[in-house]
Amino acid sequence: MTTSRVSRRAFLRTAAMAGASVAGFPVPLRAQAKLIKLGAIHPVTGPLAEVGQLQRLGAQIAVDTINAAGGITSMGGATLSLLPGDTETKADVARTVAERLINDGAVMITGAFHSGHTMAIVPVAQQRRVPFIVDISAADVITANVAKSVKEGKQKTQYVYRIFPTTTTFGRLAVKYMTEIFRETKASPKRVVVMFTNDAFGKPQSESFVKAVKAANPGFEIVEVIPYPEDAKDLSTEVSRVKALKPDVLSPITRPATAILLFQELARQRVDLMGVFSPGAPGLYEPRQLEILKENLEYVLSSTVWQNVKSPQTQKVDAEHVKRSGKHLDANATYTYDAIRVMADVLERARSTDPDALVDAIRKTNFTGGIQVLSGPIRFNETGDNEHAATAVIQILKNKPLVVWPRDVAQARAIFPRPKV
Amino acid sequence: MDPTLVGQALLNGLLFGGVYSLMAVGLSLIFGVTRVVNFAHGDMMVWGMYLALVLAERAGLDPYLGFVVCAAVLFLLGAFVQRTLVQRIVEAPHAMQILLMLGVALVLENVALVLFGPDPQRVPSPLTMATLWLGPLFVDVARLVTFGVAVLLTISLYVFLFRTMLGKMIRAAADNPFGARVIGTDVHRVYVVAFGIGAACVGAAGALVSAFLPFQPASGLSASVTSFNIVIIGGMGSLTGAFFGGLLVAVAESLGAVFLAPSLKEIVSFSLLILILLFRPAGLFGRRATT
Amino acid sequence: MKWAWLAVVALLLVLPAFLSSYVLSVFILIFFYAFLGQTWNLVGGYAGQLSLGHAAFLGIGAYTAAILARDAGITPWAGLFVGAALAATLGAVIGYLGFRFGLRGFYFALLTVAFAEIARIVVANLETTGGALGFYITFTGDPREFQFPDNRPHYYIALALMLLATGIMAWIERCRFGVYLAAIREDEGAGEALGVNSFKYKMLAIVVSAFLTGMGGTFYAFYYLSLQPNTVFGIPLSVDIVIRPIVGGAGTLLGPILGSFLLTPLAELSRAYFATGRWTGVHLIAYGALLIGVVLFLPHGLYPYLRRLVAWRPKD
Repeated sequence: MTTSRVSRRAFLRTAAMAGASVAGFPVPLRAQAKLIKLGAIHPVTGPLAEVGQLQRLGAQIAVDTINAAGGITSMGGATLSLLPGDTETKADVARTVAERLINDGAVMITGAFHSGHTMAIVPVAQQRRVPFIVDISAADVITANVAKSVKEGKQKTQYVYRIFPTTTTFGRLAVKYMTEIFRETKASPKRVVVMFTNDAFGKPQSESFVKAVKAANPGFEIVEVIPYPEDAKDLSTEVSRVKALKPDVLSPITRPATAILLFQELARQRVDLMGVFSPGAPGLYEPRQLEILKENLEYVLSSTVWQNVKSPQTQKVDAEHVKRSGKHLDANATYTYDAIRVMADVLERARSTDPDALVDAIRKTNFTGGIQVLSGPIRFNETGDNEHAATAVIQILKNKPLVVWPRDVAQARAIFPRPKV
Repeated sequence: MDPTLVGQALLNGLLFGGVYSLMAVGLSLIFGVTRVVNFAHGDMMVWGMYLALVLAERAGLDPYLGFVVCAAVLFLLGAFVQRTLVQRIVEAPHAMQILLMLGVALVLENVALVLFGPDPQRVPSPLTMATLWLGPLFVDVARLVTFGVAVLLTISLYVFLFRTMLGKMIRAAADNPFGARVIGTDVHRVYVVAFGIGAACVGAAGALVSAFLPFQPASGLSASVTSFNIVIIGGMGSLTGAFFGGLLVAVAESLGAVFLAPSLKEIVSFSLLILILLFRPAGLFGRRATT
Repeated sequence: MKWAWLAVVALLLVLPAFLSSYVLSVFILIFFYAFLGQTWNLVGGYAGQLSLGHAAFLGIGAYTAAILARDAGITPWAGLFVGAALAATLGAVIGYLGFRFGLRGFYFALLTVAFAEIARIVVANLETTGGALGFYITFTGDPREFQFPDNRPHYYIALALMLLATGIMAWIERCRFGVYLAAIREDEGAGEALGVNSFKYKMLAIVVSAFLTGMGGTFYAFYYLSLQPNTVFGIPLSVDIVIRPIVGGAGTLLGPILGSFLLTPLAELSRAYFATGRWTGVHLIAYGALLIGVVLFLPHGLYPYLRRLVAWRPKD
């Protein structure tokens, strides 16, 4: 297994450079080949560590792949170097880490999964004029606030961009896909109950879903929305409430730990449903979750971010991912991988690491090499979001997550309602 | 309000209370005897859970049997912590003791992170999905067994403390350390045993819930806070208090989830805590607090 | 001796000219946590009442200023005082309940934790505060909104806060209030017997402490621009506030400052050098081991130990 343990020479070099940079002196570039540093800030320890570690892996795979293919050819084959940072799942650490990586020479940064931490990095990116291409974070305000600032003349340039779908996109696509799949499988569920983890992701996600349902006025309605604490130890009460409501579909927004509790409880209380269809949440498809929940997760549908399984490049990345971590590729590493690839593409076109040249190149991005599910090439709109960011619907079939919708990226047919046990 | 829902909440709360009780009993013993607040209590519980996981995966041992091993290992850990660390700061200001245990908590949490990784885990057991139906109410067999074992352990501890020589020495040392020394008790050894037993309790509690409660290295903090709540409400240094306090807090939280919003259920236990602190600081069952 | 301190302050004032933005950000943390530690010191160190819920005061100050800025257009420079006043009110409530009902030591600490946790849960479930999503402040870099185009003003503000709190503590130490607090800390019963109204002075301590911490909340909000109820009201933050003065020496003037100058860079360095590669989490193990070490070998904190060391030097 490859480790990114720092070699002794690299350590000493870094220490010397760190020493120089502590005093604020400009860090000299290596004489042999130009080195371009990219910062990757993720929650590698703390409650979100499982995700952060995979994200960092995605970044490293991308950097290694690009370097192996010759680096940034338009800049004389410049080599990419990854500067990883750990937010410890805390916003204040995220901010300091961003400062440190920029100080160590990062010309662009990505991160940070948790919207709250990503927000803490935004002012640093703006202040230090370092493009920040958010890999995973859904809160609309991350880019919207900066765009607004620039429009009102309070900031000169926008340095924050995002390739991940916004919560608005999640909600909109979830409703769209649900309607389409119900039509395709000739089912007509009427009553939907939403459950969500009351945390920084669950709350806005559920709100966006509820809003999207209201706006689209599909054949189903949301009869109740049930929040539960993010560190819940027991969901039997909440599930009892769900059971009493007799819904056709349950739409849960979970975290891995609470997903385990939820599905066990649903099975135990024998809650009768046409199916479970989540508008997008972690905990419903990861390998460890499948291992633990087994048949309780079967037939569960999620409209979620995913990698494009049809692309041969995805398969290559997956193979590398398995080699380095023993786990298959999932959305976490996918988006960070793509973020680094986009950065490389930006560098190729900008032919420089000057902030304004980079921003200019970012705005002109039309990247078709993404391995995530997309509805078109990666392009940034006026808010700074990827206008073709998309989700897909995956379903757990025979204990494996398979893409079942939209048709052009599907691996299998959706099964709804789920067969009676 | 659906009476079935309320009834179910009551039942679930009661069953879960068995675990809360065991956690609190351990903490209460530690505080009652050594006068140290074990801020690493929750993290010790998490270690009990991880040990149960290792035993299940490596030795195929069901956590409902393996908890004995977990208790034994945690006993050693607790004894070790007391002997090498806590003993040295017996005279130190309260704040320092808290800081020490926080340091221990940090170390425990992150060693677990390095060794086991950050993913949430659960220990497989055939009892996990087993359910008994009593009319409209269901009983989670795993939680029932956990409740039963927890009660048994508490009773055993009671017997130990009141019927055995060592147990009586422990109680004597808790009540009156000076007097205990006068009659020749090796108070330090007693403290070590007490801390060990306290840790063993919470280690067993961890193993017993590992089959139905997902856990991660970071789960320790909330477990510690919950333990403190229960111990104060029930009464520091009182086993009966810790036991019934655990049941009470669990039921209160469960009912709180039904009558208030589920996200607010912790407000119930904290409010209860405040009321107890103000109006009956010795706890519902505690003796008059001797500072 | 006084001149040595003035020289140090003068040095700190000119440092920003030589340091990179990253190192400045570390200094900002050092000053800010020294400030928070110092405000805690008043209640926890000097008055001897262990508070483990100080994050609540920070959180109230932070959210108040942020909400007033967004919903009422009130500049955070003014919102600062409103937030601090609200925090002080909570301090008064906690103090009243705690001290009137005679809670000491761990019991008082748990009371503070209970209030902080309730505050956390309430804020995490209210729409106005953004609930569990948190509260996000748009970055504009506009000084009227307590924001700046770069780090340096934050550095000076944090430094000013640290000096302000220390100055207040130095003044309190010297006046009667400080003497009464020392009496209360050492032996409350004896103090009462001599006529010290311990309730009044403990209340004063917690209210002032809460007020100052609340001011810090505004700084926090407009520096990080991102407020999460679990972080801002959480126990880990309360622990972070408390650790520095305890390690440095609770109840001493320089304790919080020393503690912060020691722990903050250490946390940063261990993060920088251990948090890469497979060994994620090792830096926190090292941090925990350090805390244990400090407690075992310097049980009264760093400052009293250094003082004793200095006292051993032969005088000329």
